Amino acid sequence: MQFMRSKTFHWAAAMAGLFAIFITVLFGFIYFKIDDYLIARSDRMITTQIGFFAGLPRDRLIGALEDHLQQDSRGVQFSGVFDANGNRVAGNIAFLPNGLDVGVPARSVLLVSGDDEAARAVSVRAVALRLDNGDTLVVGRNVDETREIFSVVGAAFALGLFPAFCLWLLAGAWLSVRARRRVEEVNLRVQRIIAGDLRERLPHRNVDEAFSRLAAIVNGMLDELETTINALAGVGNDIAHDLRTPLTRARLTLERGRTNATTLEQLQESADKAIAGIDQSLSIVTALLRLAEIENSRRSAAFGDVALGEMLREVCDIYEPIAEDKQIALSTDISGKAHVRGDRDLLLEAVANLVDNAIKFTPSNGSVRLELLRGEGETILRVTDTGPGISHQEHEAVLRRFYRSDKIRNTPGVGLGLNLVSAIVKLHGFRLVIHSGPGGRVEIVCPDKPVSRTLDR
Amino acid sequence: MTKVLLIEDDDETAGEIAAELAERGFEVEWSSNGLDGLAKARDLRPDAMIVDRLLPGMDGLTVIESLRKEQVRTPVLVLSALGAVDDRVRGLRMGGDDYLTKPFAVVELVARIEALLRRPPETRETTLRVGQLELDLIERTAKRGERVIDLLPREFRLLEYMMRRSDQLLTRAMLLEEVWNYKFVPATNLVDVHMGRVRHKVDGPGEAPMIHNVRGAGFILRAVP
Repeated sequence: MQFMRSKTFHWAAAMAGLFAIFITVLFGFIYFKIDDYLIARSDRMITTQIGFFAGLPRDRLIGALEDHLQQDSRGVQFSGVFDANGNRVAGNIAFLPNGLDVGVPARSVLLVSGDDEAARAVSVRAVALRLDNGDTLVVGRNVDETREIFSVVGAAFALGLFPAFCLWLLAGAWLSVRARRRVEEVNLRVQRIIAGDLRERLPHRNVDEAFSRLAAIVNGMLDELETTINALAGVGNDIAHDLRTPLTRARLTLERGRTNATTLEQLQESADKAIAGIDQSLSIVTALLRLAEIENSRRSAAFGDVALGEMLREVCDIYEPIAEDKQIALSTDISGKAHVRGDRDLLLEAVANLVDNAIKFTPSNGSVRLELLRGEGETILRVTDTGPGISHQEHEAVLRRFYRSDKIRNTPGVGLGLNLVSAIVKLHGFRLVIHSGPGGRVEIVCPDKPVSRTLDR
Repeated sequence: MTKVLLIEDDDETAGEIAAELAERGFEVEWSSNGLDGLAKARDLRPDAMIVDRLLPGMDGLTVIESLRKEQVRTPVLVLSALGAVDDRVRGLRMGGDDYLTKPFAVVELVARIEALLRRPPETRETTLRVGQLELDLIERTAKRGERVIDLLPREFRLLEYMMRRSDQLLTRAMLLEEVWNYKFVPATNLVDVHMGRVRHKVDGPGEAPMIHNVRGAGFILRAVP
């Protein structure tokens, strides 16, 4: 009987109650309307009849009255003729009823019918008329049949309403039990998901119903989460691999140094190598934490106006000596002034990373170019180089953590640079566009009205 | 003797730091929790403090805040395993003078403590001098003896920073933070490349070197004896 306490059942019961009240009112209304109608009809009838009788001569009137009463098999008709003293001349009414004034319209009176001793008073609608000779003519009609109608209607009402009410409660109980069952089932599945079974989904039928739609929405969310979590698991493996490599190297160096070193210098050398290996692992951890910091950041509150031209010049200024050392020509083309809303430090970091990459992967005597362009409703920061570029197949891969192209396997680096750029770009609601080779071309597209990630939340 | 108070709850880390500092001629006092550390800071009046952020008893930042409220101006280096930019900003806002993220190289720690202890005084001087080297802050010009040195703006800034802290070891991280305002570690060794250029300009051919590279640590600017 738990369903008795459920909200669905309460609602169903309340609805059933309201329905009962409504039906009662409706039946009452119908009854009164019928009653009114029947009385009006009786009144019309007796008024017509009395008009007809009054028009007849005295001798024929009595006969007509007798005929009229005889034809009335149901015994609802009453009529009578009384002389000026109130004595009955003809008809089935014992005496002239009290309170019946002469003339139309008809009204309700009590009549004593018949001429026998067992006469009884009945409630009728009656009308009386004074005849030319001083007699009084009374014509009446029993309206007790409206009571009968009332009892019939009442019985129908009771017979109909009670089962309907019960049916309603049953429906309510069924609905609440069904809802409870579905919630139970959802709960069961959610518990399984909590326990780690990410492939579990909520039950739903392909019907346009609130519960099914909700389940479909939750399932969509679960799909997304599953993908993300699987991706994260992959990243976890990558991290473990990339951390282990330099650590293994450090360990080996130390071990060998300990066994083989015969002089202090040799030992110091292996210690230095080991420290370098550990530093490499630490820089991976630092880069990962930084990435997480940016990805989880909601720092748009700290956004300000960033002059992109000035920022690009600064990046160029910083990297010029490095490019020169590698005999790479670093040039800029900054036309006009462009401002965006953003975090200057982060944007500088992103552009610096792109330029850093470009210089790193471009062979000597090549060139790296930094451009600031104005597109349609957007500003474009473009870094082009004469390096190997990123092939179409690698577009997705380069944004994966730790991805390092086979072509550059031996270049030093952590392999998180583009991830960082991508995270920063996303935080600003900008787009990172990677073009296919030959030559590298990466763009940060800043729409004038960025769809900020922070606004999505 | 320079007295340094170290508040750090990890015994081994504290032991290593204390040994290194003692070797460099510092007198080290060690405290392993916040409350004790605060009491020692009040009693011993150290010249500098190294405070870990997460401490039993009382949080490191609270220790610093309490001291600052008592108008104690002792320079403080905050140590923390929390390396995010926001953590750093918070550490510095709460009264720390410098912030070092764990794990760190011991040389880095010592260099920073030295830098805190020898913070250049606020001067109205418009010319900086180290030996023969002269930097005019108004005209933005540099000279070594009679030889004029042509510097790019950032090179000027780098040299200015180094001259204000001559005879001190300046690590790459310190230079990145102070000269480049970088809040991240760039992939390429920027500092070395820029330093190479400045060095090339300052130490002309046939001149005794003034900028010295300390292997695995950083750079020092010294007057030619």
